[in-house]
Amino acid sequence: MAAQKEILDLAGRVGKILLENGAETSRVEGTVEYIGQAAGLALTCHATMTAIFVDVNDDATTHLVKVRTGDFNLQKVDEINSLSRRFSAGLIDYATLEKGVARIDRQVIDFSWPVKILGAGLVSVAPMLLFQATWVDLAWAFGVGIAGYLAAQWTGWHTKTPYIASGVGGLVIGLLAALIQALGLGNSADNIVISALMPLVPGVALTNSLRELIGKHTISGMVRAVDAVLVAGAIGGGVVVGSFLIHWIVR
Amino acid sequence: MAVRLLIGFIVAFASSVGFGIITNVPRRTLLPAGVTGGASWVVYLAMGTVTTNVLLPNLLAAVTIGLLANAAAVLVRAPVNVLYIPCLVALVPGAIIYMAMKDFTLGQDSAASQGFIKTLTIAIALAVGFVIAEAIFAQIRPSFRRWVDKHVPLPRTLREEEQR
Repeated sequence: MAAQKEILDLAGRVGKILLENGAETSRVEGTVEYIGQAAGLALTCHATMTAIFVDVNDDATTHLVKVRTGDFNLQKVDEINSLSRRFSAGLIDYATLEKGVARIDRQVIDFSWPVKILGAGLVSVAPMLLFQATWVDLAWAFGVGIAGYLAAQWTGWHTKTPYIASGVGGLVIGLLAALIQALGLGNSADNIVISALMPLVPGVALTNSLRELIGKHTISGMVRAVDAVLVAGAIGGGVVVGSFLIHWIVR
Repeated sequence: MAVRLLIGFIVAFASSVGFGIITNVPRRTLLPAGVTGGASWVVYLAMGTVTTNVLLPNLLAAVTIGLLANAAAVLVRAPVNVLYIPCLVALVPGAIIYMAMKDFTLGQDSAASQGFIKTLTIAIALAVGFVIAEAIFAQIRPSFRRWVDKHVPLPRTLREEEQR
């Protein structure tokens, strides 16, 4: 049996991976407690958006893990989830769990870039605008959405400042959409913008916020909602600046 | 009408799968997420033709997502979140938020606040829809899970990992 400190450390690490990659707090708390139970150490876990507390029930030890949510990777959430499920069911031992967690923590599991670009393009054709926008505009949105997505990703690699990536994504979309309309290639810059913004939508924050709020994890729900609103504001600000620049140039 | 529903289903399916790809969900959840997203959009469109109510289409679409995503999560043994996130993207009232943002920057405050209130209303409708779906599914989850464990084999990727 592993030492108490090791179990506490591993449970904290599992919680951190889950929270950083887009799991909701109730899943983080549940998974940490299940792992403790299966490892023979009763734990209580409390997770907020910035920290995870793991407490050993029968003595005074508490382990604190600081978390900074940024990039989401739902694949990691799923892998940790199935790993901990198998550990709880007794299918794998503690050493395998430890190795598995270390592997998931290190490895970047991702789709290839061509697939991601295609994905961004597909999201950029918003169902909301079918039969409202013209097909030409939706076709433009496919390309503009990819450009905005790539701009946001590229900016994300080069700066750690929050919200800049979303703002630059919005800026590129605003520039391109206004340009397409100014050149007479598309019908409505607004429709192209609305459709092409979809890949930048803070979907993880929004969905989790709703789920946390209805699960009565009110604090985490509010934190995520505010985060989603700020991201939306950054995107909108970028778009407005972008289309203003084009209008100012071609006036 | 039927053609519109079909096109709506296809586009919403593609949209959900696409968002799944860029948020990097596990591959085995892409198909169920796409089907759930498409089905919820068909419900949204169908309700839109029956009523002029703003809340009802969003609410019922959210119920559809909640029920199908929970069922799919049990079927493919994945966290529910991973299925919810791609499906919800079609329902996000992006157009209203964007127009409200634009009105806001142009100084048209009353139009802007109208848009923001509408966004909030839709968000509440979605949340209520999820609550209803979760409440219904909580009743059937234990028996559904037992049935799935007995009759549905593990997805291939999970089986391979089990053997590793």
